[in-house]
Formats: sequence, structure tokens, C-alpha cells
Amino acid sequence: MDDTSTNTPLLSVRDLCVHFPFSRGSMLRPEHGVIRAVDGLSFQIAQGETLALVGESGCGKSTTARAIINLVHPTSGSVRLRGVEIAGLSDREMMPHRRVVQMVFQDPFASLNPRMTVGSIIGEPLAVHRLASGKDRKLEVLRLMDLVGLNPRFLNRYPHEFSGGQRQRIGIARALAVQPELILCDEPVSALDVSIQAQIVNLLMDLQQKLGLSYLFIAHDLSVVRHIATRVGVMYLGRLAEIGDAASVYAHPTHPYTEALLSAVPVPDPVLAATRQRIRLEGEVPTPDRQYVGCSFVDRCPIAVEKCRHDRPPHEPVAAGEPGHTAACWERT
Amino acid sequence: MPESLSQPDAAPSRHGEPLLQVNDLQVSFKTDDSRVRAVRGVSFDIYPGETVGLVGESGSGKSVTNLALMGLVPSPPGRVDGGSVMYDGKDLLKLSPLQMQSIRGRRIAMIFQDPMTALNPLMTVGQQLTEMTRLHLGLSRRQANEKAAEMLELVGISGASRRLRDYPHQFSGGMRQRVMIAMALSCEPDLLIADEPTTALDVTIQAQILDLLRELQERRGTSIILITHDLGVVAETCHRVLVMYAGKVVEKSDAGPLFASPQHPYTQGLLQSLPRFDQVQTTLRAIPGQPPDLGNLPEGCSFRSRCPLAIDRCAREEPPLASVGDRREAACWVAEENANG
Repeated sequence: MDDTSTNTPLLSVRDLCVHFPFSRGSMLRPEHGVIRAVDGLSFQIAQGETLALVGESGCGKSTTARAIINLVHPTSGSVRLRGVEIAGLSDREMMPHRRVVQMVFQDPFASLNPRMTVGSIIGEPLAVHRLASGKDRKLEVLRLMDLVGLNPRFLNRYPHEFSGGQRQRIGIARALAVQPELILCDEPVSALDVSIQAQIVNLLMDLQQKLGLSYLFIAHDLSVVRHIATRVGVMYLGRLAEIGDAASVYAHPTHPYTEALLSAVPVPDPVLAATRQRIRLEGEVPTPDRQYVGCSFVDRCPIAVEKCRHDRPPHEPVAAGEPGHTAACWERT
Repeated sequence: MPESLSQPDAAPSRHGEPLLQVNDLQVSFKTDDSRVRAVRGVSFDIYPGETVGLVGESGSGKSVTNLALMGLVPSPPGRVDGGSVMYDGKDLLKLSPLQMQSIRGRRIAMIFQDPMTALNPLMTVGQQLTEMTRLHLGLSRRQANEKAAEMLELVGISGASRRLRDYPHQFSGGMRQRVMIAMALSCEPDLLIADEPTTALDVTIQAQILDLLRELQERRGTSIILITHDLGVVAETCHRVLVMYAGKVVEKSDAGPLFASPQHPYTQGLLQSLPRFDQVQTTLRAIPGQPPDLGNLPEGCSFRSRCPLAIDRCAREEPPLASVGDRREAACWVAEENANG
């Protein structure tokens, strides 16, 4: 089909930075600064795998997804899709690549046009990319609705007539319309009720099996991530603290932040909850306009040493982990 | 520092009088063409010093139940259609707005999910904290300021007396929720109703806030009603649990037994559909279908269409809450039959 050699990853992100300059203060005494939303991020996604990016609000995980498809323009760094550089392309130049990578958004209420019917929402990408028209388009929309578990009778209904879970199915069908290889899912289940969340997670995993899709899965719910991800990257203040195979990261959390994050997840089992050790982090995530020369976790880290203030730790392999499991910590690697 | 997770102790003795008794509470809302019954006969007791979790999905009636306890159901379109809420020998539903005001905030306090919208952006945190104590406890301005600083310190905000002059937007999400808790506790209420208090927060901050609530409960013996959809939070904080579905309590149990052997098929389904962070499952056992439309509830059990155990009787008669074991109740014909042979 194409000339991609087997060892070119589907997506390769290298040293990605997204900085937002800001000004505050009065007009006479302005203060200028830079928010480093994403600050030197590197990772790859192979065909058929799910990489989850986890972290707390403001860690830059959503900005990363948006930068990959140029919804925000990267300040520097490289984003290669099947080996082709796409960082900083204009909207027009980006068009053909949008057939390869699509996005599913968090809020199924805000991300669907309330004035369009389900059929026209799902069919729009087919029209925009001139993939099908007329009767073919309608047939394709019906096929997509069936694929995501929507009743074809709903073709002419409007988004407000659907529940959150069904709306998320519409969003997924729209993303699938152009037959992409990679879908960026930005918190796709966090607005849904527990019983519906499992339906959508199962749907995403079924589709991956059937269509050989790859996902970049952005989430803050570490239990959902454990279930869906092949690999996990833990982000803190725009940087990756740790990345590796999901099983390895959950079994051998090595960066002190990963450790604290995993220990803070409540488990629905009172017996287990009683035996767990929690690592309590003091303080909160600092505002992202703070600049760190060394490690960005230094202010909250229980094991920080002087070196952590001055030198930024590189990613090093985790001894106990699987190959490819790395962490950025002077004390632990 | 690693520390052992402080667990809710064994449920406080329930020998004494209940602090609050809710009986057959009914609340409905008027819509364009009908009346939607959001709460359909909810009953429970709250004892001193215990934390009771109220679990359910959106539309299950858990938040409306608690708005009714506080006399805060927006009317119209809302209306309390029946039932009673006994507290201190009085039925809260029959009190005048003025009488209710002397209880709300003073004896029963509430914290909300979103601390940004619950705080007044135009008033300093200090003004909001002192408003309560001056009104309810009759403190002087100076006493109220001292008390406010003391409360902020109690909830772990450093530089308390200086921060009283700050506005809500100058606090982070976690800090705002601490301010809300300080406000709620400043009159030393008997009962704290916490409606999704950590849902908007990150997990490490959530852990801090839950620890804080537990410590404060131990120190002051406050009873807590914790409304949440997160069963993990329930497992780590609650003594007892009420599971709500379509405006009714469908299961009532101590927390341990509920998680070990859920009795109602809805509770079973909820627990099975949860991805577990500590174990790997192949597929999640999702509950099929959608939550029911409250304006158009089916006859019989409202969970029937999603229930793997449904029998003929479920289509005809709605099951009442019935005993299914030691201090356990479930509203399910099948569970009741299994329990009672």
C-alpha cells in the first residue's frame, strides 16, 4: 500500500516544545514571561499500539495532542507521521495528513455542532476530503454508525437527543470516517458515567482490533489507562517523568512522581485500601510560568537532592523494568 | 513519606439516636410537558460520627436528595412532594425559610463540587469566612477574623491571616476546596454534606482533601454525607453506602460487605464495569443500555431493561428495599429471594 518500512514508527515526536508567551501587570510596568506547556517531549507510537499520556491538569498532555495535529503550532521540535515531518505545517498543507490522524474530544456536548444531524456530522469529513458523495456517502455513514454501535434509525436526529455515551460514539464515528491510522483521544471517557465509560472503552479496544488503529490516549484516570494502554507516559509540567510498557510502569514506578500518583489512586476495595501505602505529596502543582533549570518536580519531591535543582535529569533505563522503560530522575536511575 | 492509609475505623456504634432521619422523601421537577420524579421515596438515617457514601450516576437523584435536606430545591420548577427529614426533633421540611436559615450553615453545612462557582468572586475569602460566623455565632468582627484565620490554618493553608485578604481567584483549585471546607466547618456543624468534593481535583490533591476530611471527622465527630460517583473514593472513606438508581435507594450496606459481595445487580454491574488499576482484565463488563429517562419510567423495576437477572415479576412490580442479610438491604426480587431462600 505505501512505502513505509516496518521500522519507521507511525508517529515520532522529538524534543517537542510548545511555549505560550504572556504579558501581565499594568500597561506601564508590563511583565513578560513564557508558559512552557510542553517542554522537550519525545516519544514514539508504533502501528497498533496505544500510548497513554497521564498527568494532572496543566501538565501539557492535551497541548501535546493539539500540537501533533497543528491545532496549536509547536515552538520547536519535530513531529513525524510515517516519517514525514508535519510540525508547523499550514492548515492547507496539513489537509492530507488529517486523513491519517484524527481526534476524539473530551466533551461530547461541546464537540458536536448542535445544528447538524448525526448523518451530516459523520458525513462531513467524507465531504471535506472528497471521499464519497451522494448515495455512497449515506451508505458509508450508515456503515460507520453500525461500526460504533449507533442505531441507523438515528441518522436524522440531532446531538441533543442523545446521551453522553451515544454522543461520544458519534464523535468516534466522525473520526473514523476518513479511515485514519492514528486517533488522538483527549479524555474520551472522563465526562461519562461509570457504567457508560466501560462501553466506550470496550468500543475503542474493539475498533483497534478490527481496524489496526493506533491511539494516543490522554487521560487522568489511571485505572482506565491501566486497562487500555500498551505503553504509558507520565507527564509533569510539560515534561515526561517516566515512560514505558504499561505493565512495567505500574509494577515498577520509578520516578517519585509516578510513585506518588499511583499511590493516590483510590481503589474500590476497602480491604486492599487498608493495606496500601500512600505517598503524600506536599503542596500543589506550581504554575507553569515557573522556570526550572533542573528537575521540574524538585519542589514537591520527597527525595530531591541539591543536584536536582541545577541539572535537568535525562531519561535513563529503569533497572527493574522492561526494555524501553525509562525515567528522568537523578536519584532513582 | 510513606504513611499507612488512614482507613475509616469500624463503623461508629449505632446505638445512640440517629442525628438525621430521612423518611420517604419525594422530590419532583416540572418540565414542559410533565413532572419528573427525581427522588422517589428515599429513606435513611445518619448517626453521629459516621461517613455515609451516596453513590449513583448522573440523574440518580443523589444531589437532589441532599438539596432537599438543606431546603435548597429550586422552586419552581422543583417541589418536595412528601416525606420528612427529622433533625433534633423537628421536621426540616416543615420549617419556615427563616428557621431553616438558622440550621443551614450552622448545624448542617454543605460543600460543593466546584469551589470556584460556590465562592463569591467579588468578596475576599476573609469576608466570606467571617460572614458565616458573625451571622450564626454572633461573633464580633475581630473575633470572627481570628476564627477565620484559625480555620484556614486547620485546613492547611499557610500564612492564613495574610491570605484572608485574598480573593478566590488567587487560590488554586485544591486551595479553594480547602477554603470551602473551612467555611463549612467554621460553625462546627453536626453534619457536613459534601457533594462530589474532589471530582474537580487531581488525584494527589484529592488524596490530601480526603485525608483532611477524615482528620477533621476524627477530631470533631462530625457526620459526613459524601455524594460521589467514584467507588474508589467511597471504599477509602465511607463507613456505610447507599446506592441510588433512578431516584431510589437500591442498596444499603456497610462499606466492607458492599464491595465484597454486592447484592443488587446494579451495584454488581457498577463494580464489574470499573477498570481496576491493580489488576488486568481483558474486557470490561459494561452495563448494557442507558440510564432510564426519569420522565418516562417503565413499570416494575427501573433497572430491569439493563439487568442480567430480571425475571417476570420485575416487569410487573417495583421491588421495595428489603433485608438481604445482616444490616443489608437491596431493592431486588432476585436478591431478596436468594437471601431468604
